[in-house]
Amino acid sequence: MISRTLKHVVLGLIVFIWVVPFVALITTSLRSEIASKTSGFWTSFTPTELGHRFGTHDRDDTAEVLLKTGNILDRLNVGEEDFPIAGEVNSILIKGRVPDPENPDKTKLVRKLVPAGEVMDVRGGDFIFQENGDFTWTFDEPTAPKPKNLDVFINQEPVFDTQAYEEVLFDNEHVPNALISSFIVTIPATIIPITIAAFAAYAFAWMRFPGRDWLFVIVVSLMVVPTQLAFLPILQGFSGIASWATALNAWMTDCEATKSCEVASKSFASLWVTHTAFGLPLAVYLLRNYIVGLPRELLESARIDGANHLQIFTRLIVPLSVPALASFSIFQFLWVWNDLIVALYIGPNNSDDLVFPIRLQQQLGTFKDQLHLLNASAVISMIVPVIVFLAMQRYFIRGLLAGSVKGG
Amino acid sequence: MSFTTKMLGVAAITAASFAYAGSAHADVCDTPSSLGDLGNFAGEVITLAGSMQGKDEENLLATASCFEAATGAVIKYSGSRDFAALIVADLQSNNAPNIAIFPQPGLAGDMAKEGYLSPLGSDLANWMTNNYGAGSSWVDLGTYEGQDGSDAFYGFAFKQDLKSLVWYSPEQFEDNGYEIPSTMEELIALSDQMVADGNTPWCIGVESGNATGWTATDWMEDIMLRTASPAKYDQWVSNELPFNSPEVINAMEVYGQFSRNDDYVAGGASSVATTFFGDAPKGLFTSPAQCLMHRQASFIPAFFPEKGAEVERGEADFFYFPPFDSSNGNYLNSTGNPVLGAGTLYTITKDSDATRAFFQYLTEAKAHEVWMSQGAFLTAHKGADLSAYASAAQRKQGEILVNATTFRFDASDLMPGAIGAGAFWSEMTAFANGQDSQTTADNIQAAWDAIK
Repeated sequence: MISRTLKHVVLGLIVFIWVVPFVALITTSLRSEIASKTSGFWTSFTPTELGHRFGTHDRDDTAEVLLKTGNILDRLNVGEEDFPIAGEVNSILIKGRVPDPENPDKTKLVRKLVPAGEVMDVRGGDFIFQENGDFTWTFDEPTAPKPKNLDVFINQEPVFDTQAYEEVLFDNEHVPNALISSFIVTIPATIIPITIAAFAAYAFAWMRFPGRDWLFVIVVSLMVVPTQLAFLPILQGFSGIASWATALNAWMTDCEATKSCEVASKSFASLWVTHTAFGLPLAVYLLRNYIVGLPRELLESARIDGANHLQIFTRLIVPLSVPALASFSIFQFLWVWNDLIVALYIGPNNSDDLVFPIRLQQQLGTFKDQLHLLNASAVISMIVPVIVFLAMQRYFIRGLLAGSVKGG
Repeated sequence: MSFTTKMLGVAAITAASFAYAGSAHADVCDTPSSLGDLGNFAGEVITLAGSMQGKDEENLLATASCFEAATGAVIKYSGSRDFAALIVADLQSNNAPNIAIFPQPGLAGDMAKEGYLSPLGSDLANWMTNNYGAGSSWVDLGTYEGQDGSDAFYGFAFKQDLKSLVWYSPEQFEDNGYEIPSTMEELIALSDQMVADGNTPWCIGVESGNATGWTATDWMEDIMLRTASPAKYDQWVSNELPFNSPEVINAMEVYGQFSRNDDYVAGGASSVATTFFGDAPKGLFTSPAQCLMHRQASFIPAFFPEKGAEVERGEADFFYFPPFDSSNGNYLNSTGNPVLGAGTLYTITKDSDATRAFFQYLTEAKAHEVWMSQGAFLTAHKGADLSAYASAAQRKQGEILVNATTFRFDASDLMPGAIGAGAFWSEMTAFANGQDSQTTADNIQAAWDAIK
């Protein structure tokens, strides 16, 4: 009984740890930029005291008056449509220098937190504000006061809006383009390696040829080659192919007239080839271990019925290997979808063809000034893998066990 | 048509269907100066690579759009924060863009030495000497040793930054009754006054990803220019004056008086190394303010909470990071008011006639004025109309730049890449974390000895 409770507590804790960043990301993406920069996401569900600076009036308002009135919240919400600030106005921080009683020839700085309804001296006038934000500022004689910016603390009501999502999706083409580019890269980069690997796995499992085991060992050992190590030679290779293709293009077509002969060495196709190459060893290993465990009798009876290798492969092996194929597809899809570094070095680098992770990185900006947009884009980029995973998860769990138990 | 181009064609069609806005920059080319004849390069593609992203990238593209309109050439820019790593791989694998925009001269110099850059020619160098404020220093900044061992002009500085500025909120100064200091002594006295009043004077942050520490080197360079003569500064850059010499260590310690003082720095001295440099100035604008002063270059308003609108509204302003008062004999100051600056360098990595024409465009006052009107841009071009600047604050900075006489470049930019974009950064971060100045200086000098 105790152990069961403990299990639940531990399980709950793990789920909590995993879910918190997700909730944080979604919450933050729905908050205003200012709010998410000044307070934690957990404060966004309940009224929270936040500091703001508000200016009493516009600079060009220079009329001489005895009384100035206004509303602090209205002033703060000028030009703010999506995330209006609302709530009780708690206090205003006022600062000023007064003679220092201990040090007659010096002054000292005093700070005072003035609550609603109390009079304070601002630029020689009496300034009073109410909890609803209305303020009056009275002067003894007609004055044209300079605008004053005051620190005001407001018990802010929660406010959420999808403004960041709208901006990301509809204001410019960057994120929609990135979504399409990512699909252009990811779908072939998943299908190509799985197709090749399935053939190779069958050959390694059921065909007899000299050096088979050694070849398999070599393929498996290729899994440990670090991606980063291979970038430069791969790039050099692609640039060789591209210049050859450019020359061929110039020879075979009349592209010179439109100056369009240049074949880019960094392209979607380069990404497909690279991702295929890096994905293959694991794919071959995983599928071979699964296929080798299929019942020998089944294949032998097919053989006796006169089936050749291709028929056995397409009619028997592929349908029986669906869990392993699906599980590797998820692996490869997620890895390619989330890949930044290969796309950065090998992929197309013109702005329209950037894949999602690069676009996310770009949204940091030179100045890290678009963090609210980044949160929204991150959520959008997460949705696709989540859908893929949920749609195929039953295969995934079965596939994870693929090859682990002989005959399973 | 090869397989690759066919597939690219498919991609281009899908991408194009999402490209809504065609020419949003119709009116940006409307500037005081008009454009000379640059030639006709209809359809030719010029590729640019750099580290600028976001707003900076938009401004660059707007500036380039006027060149496109005039010549028919097509500009393609790819910007990445990993530019330094990517450009090296691209150059080595024969995938060079036409133009590489280097944020630091150190790396550009390394690439010139490897033979990846094409010299720009003496005409451009002469033009820059005559038409940029402190022109010969800008030429020096872009002059490197090539593969053949001889010096040539490779880097065209376009878009300058002015360092030596202290940003503050005039209203906060008014509320607290503080005056703008005109000497370093006054600045230190003011900082002490703020501490006595229970305020925190400075916001300092040096975290910047894999470039962490550069803000600290800027601070130190500014102080070095004020505690030692410009001649010593030049010797320090070329390492004739070793890094662990008394002058340099002294500058580091003066910087330490600011940054390693718990009372001076918002969040305490230990927060310096972990605070993102772009978040540091936000402390000026919080309620209540976390700090009252922030020393940073002219580009920093882009990091303010409202991206610089504060400056236009008069809620933020800057004063010149002052020199020491020479009359008390503390420091020999024969230089008047020294100014520290930096600039991005445009280099040719794959030559073509259209590329050359683009550099011709960069010499045109118009190219500068287009970006000036977009904001976040300063230029030393004397022919550019100052009225083109987007704001009065920028105009004030632009005037400082054009009229500069004693002007020195960011030392870390001039030092070899391994020092200026390596040991100097990392050791200054270690200094921020409590390493003493002697060890810090010794370590940097050791790194420098190692690459000699």
